[in-house]
Amino acid sequence: MRKKTTRKRGGGKGTFRLVLLGGVALTVVLIFLVSVFSRQENSLMHEFLFETVGPVQKVVSQATASLQSLKKDYIDLLTVRDEKTRLLKELQECRVIAYKNREAVATNARLKKLLDFKESMDFSSITNGSSSNYVVAARIVGKDPSLWFRTVDIDQGSSDGVQKGMPVVTGDGIVGQIYSTSANYAKVLLAIAPSSALDVVIQESRERGILRGTGKTTYRLEYVFKTIEVSEGDHVVTNSYGGVFPTGIPVGVVTKVEKKRRGMFLNIEVTPAVDFTTLENLLVIKREKQLVE
Amino acid sequence: MLILGFIFLGLLLIVLQTTVFMLTPTWVAAPDLYFVLVAYLAYRVDLLRGLVILLPLSCVLDVLSGTVIGMYSALCYSGYLLLKFISSKMPVRESLYQIPLVAVSYLVVHWLVFSLLDFLLPDSLVPWSWPLMLFRAGLVVLCSYPLFSLFEFLNHHLLGKFSTLKILRSRSGNQFR
Repeated sequence: MRKKTTRKRGGGKGTFRLVLLGGVALTVVLIFLVSVFSRQENSLMHEFLFETVGPVQKVVSQATASLQSLKKDYIDLLTVRDEKTRLLKELQECRVIAYKNREAVATNARLKKLLDFKESMDFSSITNGSSSNYVVAARIVGKDPSLWFRTVDIDQGSSDGVQKGMPVVTGDGIVGQIYSTSANYAKVLLAIAPSSALDVVIQESRERGILRGTGKTTYRLEYVFKTIEVSEGDHVVTNSYGGVFPTGIPVGVVTKVEKKRRGMFLNIEVTPAVDFTTLENLLVIKREKQLVE
Repeated sequence: MLILGFIFLGLLLIVLQTTVFMLTPTWVAAPDLYFVLVAYLAYRVDLLRGLVILLPLSCVLDVLSGTVIGMYSALCYSGYLLLKFISSKMPVRESLYQIPLVAVSYLVVHWLVFSLLDFLLPDSLVPWSWPLMLFRAGLVVLCSYPLFSLFEFLNHHLLGKFSTLKILRSRSGNQFR
């Protein structure tokens, strides 16, 4: 009895398995047949699946693309900060270099001007023509803060051969005279100082006069007779009568001539050849002839 | 230490005044920082120390600036003594008048010294200009506020650390001895 029941149960299971296997095999064969014998474009199933899955694929792929873009943007954003810092630093370095280059170009131009001036001028009238090192290049290190005087301090002194009374020039013209010296520094009395007086000549008329500073950025040319024809635009240069300056160093240009009814002399205003607001590098002309105090 | 500290600070102010604040040789907007120090010394430091501090500073100014030796000494000492005198005689509370008084004394002292120099050395100075001098006095007033704070800090710091009185006091630990 017991044996009979066991056989019955085992036979049902085998049938079920057989049916399942047959169903699967049939399905596979059917799929194979459908795929082999039907045209894919016209397959309803194919179309159905495409139309159903396509939009999903589209949405998912778009979402993925957006996410990837977002991720890329985020990563970029993270790196952008470092990049920005690096670029800013680089920009600052470039600016510093550009500034230094500009400064070097400007200094070069100034020094070239001084060199041209040094080579073009004849200093033999005050240096006896014996010395080859007749000029000393100097740089302004300090300026007079007082409103009543016009002096500057330079970085060359008596140890470099600079002495009281020596003329100081730039490539544009006369700047002033050495007023006092120490071993390594000297004070220059600017030609625009009221206490400064230079012996000059008007280039066009060859008339001599005394050029005095006004404290402002103009000179006053004194002791030129009314009978002399002086006009605006005439050039004023140094002369070597006093033995202080070499002949022909530019001093300025006549910008105003007044002929008053009273008095013997003209009132002449001269605009300096040198721009006193941009003074930086100077040349001290070594004078071998001693100045009479 | 206080004297050395203020001399050093004064030298620094003079160097700044003749370099950084003087953009061109004819620049007018450079504040006379030394006068702020003169005023502070007149208000806060005793006579002897003030005079000792001012001596080297006025000498340096005379060397670096101008062509008349002794001019800055006259400016510094007359400014110092004038402010010292006024501040000792003033009945008003100090903070009310001390800064404006710096400007007034600046103008008075400069005008007196200029008049004297113009009399002794005619035509050797740039003519006096009230607008410019008022402008410079204004700059001195403007600089007075921050510089007074700096000087005050320095004064307290130096006095606090190196005052001989404090050193003597700190030695006597036993109050009943």
